[in-house]
Amino acid sequence: MRAVALAAAAAVALVVVYLALGGASYAPAKVANPCAHREWRNPKGLDKVAEQIVLSALDGAACKLGVSREEIVLAFAGRDSLKRFTREHGISERELEELVRSGLLRAVDDAERAGAINATVADLLRGVARRIPVGGLLDLLGQLRGF
Amino acid sequence: MPIALLGLSVGIVLADSSVVTIALPEILARYDVELATLAWVLTSFNLALALSALPAAFVARRRPAPVFGVGIVVFAAASLACALSPSFGGLVAGRVVQGVAGAAVVCAALDLLSHATGADASAARVWILAGIAGAALGPAAGGILTQLLGWESIFFVQAPVVLLGLLALRGVRAVPVPEPVERPHLGANAALLLISGALVAALFLLVILLINGWRLEPLAAGLVVTIMPLAAIAATRFGGAITPLWARAASGVLLIAGGLAALGWLPHAGAGWTVPPQLALGAGLGLALSALSTRALAGRSALAVHGGWTIAARHAGVVLGLLLLTPIFTTDLHRSEDNALAAGTAAVLDSRIPPLDKIGVARDILVAVDEAKDEARIPDVQEVVGEPDDPAYVDLASALQDQLDRAVTNSFSRAFLAAALLGLVALAPIVLGRREVGS
Repeated sequence: MRAVALAAAAAVALVVVYLALGGASYAPAKVANPCAHREWRNPKGLDKVAEQIVLSALDGAACKLGVSREEIVLAFAGRDSLKRFTREHGISERELEELVRSGLLRAVDDAERAGAINATVADLLRGVARRIPVGGLLDLLGQLRGF
Repeated sequence: MPIALLGLSVGIVLADSSVVTIALPEILARYDVELATLAWVLTSFNLALALSALPAAFVARRRPAPVFGVGIVVFAAASLACALSPSFGGLVAGRVVQGVAGAAVVCAALDLLSHATGADASAARVWILAGIAGAALGPAAGGILTQLLGWESIFFVQAPVVLLGLLALRGVRAVPVPEPVERPHLGANAALLLISGALVAALFLLVILLINGWRLEPLAAGLVVTIMPLAAIAATRFGGAITPLWARAASGVLLIAGGLAALGWLPHAGAGWTVPPQLALGAGLGLALSALSTRALAGRSALAVHGGWTIAARHAGVVLGLLLLTPIFTTDLHRSEDNALAAGTAAVLDSRIPPLDKIGVARDILVAVDEAKDEARIPDVQEVVGEPDDPAYVDLASALQDQLDRAVTNSFSRAFLAAALLGLVALAPIVLGRREVGS
């Protein structure tokens, strides 16, 4: 019986040490809730402002769809991923684009109100947001890498 | 000399249960089959061995020497057929023949060992130790051969080695004595089945985690998992002092369950974290398998038939473990893939790299993940992110690697925990039959 007790103690000690070191929580980080309030910053540089507008727009669309903004970014990564996403969430590509577009327009308004961009730049961005396909916008941003 | 050669033959055959685990990615690349189909390289051998162990034992008890000789030759031929197989179907067929011939070799070897040592108890001791060493050393041997010479070398090398067993027949005069066959020890065999099912996680999943998950080279992974057989052999050697047998078996089961649960709750990715669980698993494996096999064989006639029961129980357990744990593992792998992609994308979006680069990097990662998925490997994050001199990119690569490690390690967690539970269930037949086991 002493051997059984020793083996049980060794097994439990091993498991307890591993749990105490974080074994139960060693998993990929949870993505942020897109519906949670994120404070509007006034970053320097047009590219950083544009980034914040795009992220804010993605948050808005993700919140309405009940998904994370990361899932929307991955959806717009290619034709196949876009089709898969719209099929899984029961919406059309057009509806998804409209959600992101309305989020973009709202984010441009927020940026203008916060003084991050002036009225001329805001009008320019609204024009872009209304006309260009969202997938195309992401393509364009991707192609600007390195400039 | 005959005793060593007979032990070697048993060890080689039973090592085949797990020897190709490390070679699975290379076999996948060679034949281009689905992951679920690939598992048949392991399942086919274990299923054939489990199903043919008992019939082989009944034949072997009447004519052990010819059965052993034919088994050795067919096993060697099947090994060469596996190495040279032009198709995946041919490889699986070769593995089935290996399993059937292996059953004949292992069961007949027990009778021959009894004649060579002059005592059933000594024969059982050698046979059990050879079996434990073979099964536990399999992944390490397979890893070393795969990296140095390619996966086919596993089968090329074992053919001549197993043929050495034929030399044992020169020194053994087996005169079969017809004995009535007694009822098998149900408790010990049931516990062997459950423990073998649980050990699938240690002998197969751990190797896959090291090579496919954490990208260790087969040679390094082979060396890492050598800890387990070393601990098993030490426990078999020194655990004999633990009496009664049911207490030794129960101690082993508790250590196996603890080791598997610790693998299920690894606090970090890295081979070093697997060392303490492997020590527990190895010690548990040595204690439990030796105690239960001894009990299943002790004082029972005919020896070969009861050896056949233990082999059937152990390898049916391996098949059960593969059938139970593979779906859990593959389901969690898909779930973790989605979680890792989302966490990786968040890491890119929140990183300090230039905003306009983020979309491009996120897309590059997605392409790399898709390519890696097709080749059943983990993407190289550093290669995808690039810019090794820019601190922002270095931080991003490190964050992505961390998320990837977490996702991969996490995807094995539930399968290890399920295996720990399966192992704990083995306590029931051990404790319920403890009067019988301790007698």
